[in-house]
Amino acid sequence: MQSALNPGGPQAELIARESGWLLGMGASVFAVTMAALAYAALHRRRAADPQSANPSIARWVAAALALTIAVLLTNVVVDMRTGRALADLPDRARPDALTIEVTGHQWWWEIEYEHADPSRRLTTANELHIPVGRPVKIELRSADVIHSFWVPGLHGKRDLIPGYSRPLWIQADHAGVFRGQCAEFCGDQHANMALLVIATAPADFARWYAAQLLPARAPADAAARVGQRVFLANACVLCHTIRGTPAGGRVAPDLTHLASRRSLAAGTLPNTPPHRRAWVLDPQGIKPGVRMPAMILPARDAEALFAYLDGLQ
Amino acid sequence: MSTTDVLRGPGEDALAAERRELTATWSGRGGFVGWMASVDHKSIAKRYIVTALAFFALGGAGALTMRLQLARPDNGLLGPDLYNQMFTMHGTTMMFLFAVPIMEAIGLYFVPLMVGTRNVAYPRLNALGYWTYLIGGLFLWGSFFAGSGPDTGWFSYAPLSETLFSPGKRVDIWAQTVTFTEIAALIAAVEIIVTVFKLRAPGMTLNRIPLFVWSMLVTAFMVLFAMSTVATASVMLALDRLVDTHFFRPATGGDALLWQHLFWFFGHPEVYIIFLPATGMVSTVLPAFTRRPVFGYTILVFALLITGFLSFALWVHHMLATGIPHHGSSFYTTASVMIALPSGIQVFCWIATIWTGRPVFRTPLLFVLGFLVLFVLGGLTGVMVAAIPFDLQVHDTYFVVAHFHYVLIGGAVFPLFAAIYYWYPKVTGRMLSERLGRWNFWLLFAGFNLTFFPMHILGLMGMPRRVYTYREALEWGDLNLLATAGALVLALGVALFVLNVVMSLGSGERAADNPWDADTLEWSTASPPPPYNFHPLPGVDGRSPAWSRPEELPRVTGLATGSREMLVTTALDARPDSCNEPPGPTIWPFVTALAVGVTFIGSVFTPWGFVVGMLLLLPPLVAWGWPRGKREETGTSPEAA
Amino acid sequence: MSDAGAEGLTIDAASLPRTMFGYRGLTWWATAGFMLIEGTTLAVLLVCYVYLRRSFTEWPPAPVPLPDLLVPSINLAVLLVTILPMAFARRAAHALDLRGVRLFLSIAVLLSVVAVVLRGFEFDALNVRWDQYAYGSVAWILVGMHATLLVVDLVESAVITTMMFRRDVEQKHYTDVEESALYQFFLSLTWVPVYAMVYLGPRVF
Repeated sequence: MQSALNPGGPQAELIARESGWLLGMGASVFAVTMAALAYAALHRRRAADPQSANPSIARWVAAALALTIAVLLTNVVVDMRTGRALADLPDRARPDALTIEVTGHQWWWEIEYEHADPSRRLTTANELHIPVGRPVKIELRSADVIHSFWVPGLHGKRDLIPGYSRPLWIQADHAGVFRGQCAEFCGDQHANMALLVIATAPADFARWYAAQLLPARAPADAAARVGQRVFLANACVLCHTIRGTPAGGRVAPDLTHLASRRSLAAGTLPNTPPHRRAWVLDPQGIKPGVRMPAMILPARDAEALFAYLDGLQ
Repeated sequence: MSTTDVLRGPGEDALAAERRELTATWSGRGGFVGWMASVDHKSIAKRYIVTALAFFALGGAGALTMRLQLARPDNGLLGPDLYNQMFTMHGTTMMFLFAVPIMEAIGLYFVPLMVGTRNVAYPRLNALGYWTYLIGGLFLWGSFFAGSGPDTGWFSYAPLSETLFSPGKRVDIWAQTVTFTEIAALIAAVEIIVTVFKLRAPGMTLNRIPLFVWSMLVTAFMVLFAMSTVATASVMLALDRLVDTHFFRPATGGDALLWQHLFWFFGHPEVYIIFLPATGMVSTVLPAFTRRPVFGYTILVFALLITGFLSFALWVHHMLATGIPHHGSSFYTTASVMIALPSGIQVFCWIATIWTGRPVFRTPLLFVLGFLVLFVLGGLTGVMVAAIPFDLQVHDTYFVVAHFHYVLIGGAVFPLFAAIYYWYPKVTGRMLSERLGRWNFWLLFAGFNLTFFPMHILGLMGMPRRVYTYREALEWGDLNLLATAGALVLALGVALFVLNVVMSLGSGERAADNPWDADTLEWSTASPPPPYNFHPLPGVDGRSPAWSRPEELPRVTGLATGSREMLVTTALDARPDSCNEPPGPTIWPFVTALAVGVTFIGSVFTPWGFVVGMLLLLPPLVAWGWPRGKREETGTSPEAA
Repeated sequence: MSDAGAEGLTIDAASLPRTMFGYRGLTWWATAGFMLIEGTTLAVLLVCYVYLRRSFTEWPPAPVPLPDLLVPSINLAVLLVTILPMAFARRAAHALDLRGVRLFLSIAVLLSVVAVVLRGFEFDALNVRWDQYAYGSVAWILVGMHATLLVVDLVESAVITTMMFRRDVEQKHYTDVEESALYQFFLSLTWVPVYAMVYLGPRVF
């Protein structure tokens, strides 16, 4: 799920192949050296041998040295070839390449799909949907401190550095869920800053995209309508956006289609109604240090709010 | 009969009388103040070593609590705040308060003995270094226990470490601790460089310098450049935080990556600053336990020099994930791979030494063999992470945690244990228990592998570093539990070591002058060495002076016995050149260190702390430099005091 | 004195000199060590200056004016001129010429006082505060770092000068004079690149 050993795309595949070579190289050199060490320490010595009576030892050392140089040079060659292959991999000319801007925040991921038509731009959080087989260019930025974007099943990591913008190309070869996690220490909740990359067939992706572009569903029943009012009347709106409502805060995840996502609080909890309740009432208990304050609400308001949030499909 | 007695002197009685007078001349003053005023390199180095080991224990205890927290998924033992403080304290302590200081401390003890002189070049400065280090370390841990431990990692990346994201005093404490301890490191480096260049025994030309001394010399030069850089960087960070400069603030033209460049320009050599002295220890221990001089002396010296140079070209490989341009990065890959070469050469030379020698399997040799196993493994994973694409996967994961613990514990702490078992009799006059030593070794070796080998796999399974918790679904639980179990075994091994050291101090077997029949000069004086180290001062005629017959060695006469005198020799071929009169005991280095403490600790709270501290520094510095009358100079013997 | 290294020989240290000038003595090496450390620090800061320059399109960033040249240039001259009396003091120290040492050392210390006072105005001449942009920060730290060394050196030279005016000047104190001179040369010469970078640099790039 979050392993460099199960590559799900061409980039990760190339690296896995290099890793295989390196592990093999490392294991064999280790085995040979240890055999030599064991022999050196334990071989039988004749009592009469004068000290250092082995003139051939210098030749052995020289041979070992030559071998080391050969192995190291091979490493450099393998490494540079892999590096070049990685650099050449994304087919930048492909017109259907997707560009996604990913911005790191303490401690969540803001995700924005670029589109030439501004009305087709899409903002979401912590869940990156990509179509299988299409190259994806990820533009990495940071809103605060340094983070690192790392989805081991798809590629190595790339830092998000304030003041810099760095692209990373990924591609998924088969449908599946690839978990990723911030890989640069970024403060209290570095451990709970995960994201999911969900690779789906192009048609599924298109459907998902179209659904996400829609504004939030109107509240379905009376309780949800009350809940929407609770949401809009409280501090929630200062930070969160729900498209189709006046809520337009930009410092926390976009909640327009909150209930459609698989996890909550950047991979901290599964996104189920009970977890959503627990989260809203006590975010500090679940993710200590998180920027979201606990919502102190009368029980009825809270229930209404949850009914509203549950409907944000 | 001690070896020194065999050295021909002007007759036994006269020699004994001279030694009595020298003891009086070179002893410190009595009492607590006298203890504080000591400038003897052996006393100061012993304090350094004990202090560094105490910090090692603290840092290790921190690691143990982290292991306990990570033993199970979603564990609640440590919250993020405490956990982040823990790994910051662990890294900072191990790198700044343990590893570098203990290597330099052992250098400060043994370099003067191995080159055959009576003290380090600048005894008072040496004392200042220790006190500065002590105050810095106490400040850091005092702050931690007061609930204000730094929590941005031992690397304190900006802008996380800037006031905007880390308000409060925690990072200031970290930055000042670094500046502090680096001053101590720089002082020790200057001591070692000048002691090696100017105070060697007559005849100890460059190609006869013991390998441990060579390794300390190369290390000391690396310290000069690396520690100056990190001290500059930490001052810049402190200024950003205290007086609103903008060095590392992207919003106002500063640059977050500048910090990383500065930090790793120090941080990479740092690894070799810890590792090179360890190689020197290995090259020193091996001859005694294989009964032959180490194979390939000249090659080993060149390996040290090449490693020293190359280590300054490698810093960028800690920053590959920042997206360094591709053509630039291949240079760093090549350099990173190439630095494996001198390390490989060293390993081959050591194996060749064992191969052609007659191994005596005592505890020090066990630790050297353990070192070879662990270091080869850690070195190979090092070669692996030098490959950029692979590094992009494992960077900042537990694979890297495993790698550098193999290199730092396997590569440096195991030789350190070998050296302690080897040199303990020289320092204390007692042998460590061999039986406990074997238990000590096997527990550490097994515990170490149990702790750190699984981390390679965890890293490849996607576990990042510096996380205080992880989800059960990620399936990292079992390997983490194994690692925690290993850590407990490791801790048991360390406890056994402490037990051995403490018990042997009182009841260990008495050590002869040269219990291992080793070949370097420190073994040609008594165990423990007298305050004046040697009398008569030895000369050398080869690389293994203690294996020569004592009467064949040149010796130095004519140094004063009633006042402190050291022989100064020429830098390259160690010809006797002049005599130097080093200062005797003085309290001023301690007072100066206090003023330095006020400067750095005060400036955490107000910029005026710096000004006040500087003013406080003036009187002790003037008093320190003020010439003493002749009579006062000689009035340093216990009788006179 | 017999050759070292020959077997079984005795080396008589009694006849060796007790004070040594230059690299044959010990103090020279300490001074060299600290020059290496401080030189590294200044070099690192100069690199930071160039590195930070890359983030700006204008240097100094508008609306910060260019630094003034008058005071810094005068001080550059003062620092360079200080080399002369220090060189004479050093020569006098080698000759154990107490009067010469006293004279030239005093002149050098007076010039150092002038340099320290002028340094205060050099901060003004930067025309920027340390907390205005990274530009201001890096300019201040370069000048400030050198200023700290300058003050430390002044204190040290003043102490040594006072020592040389005491009655019981010993031979070994002459080596202190030499080290003081050496350090002064270092300070004067390192100021050249710092001056060029901080005061001329913004005019060039």
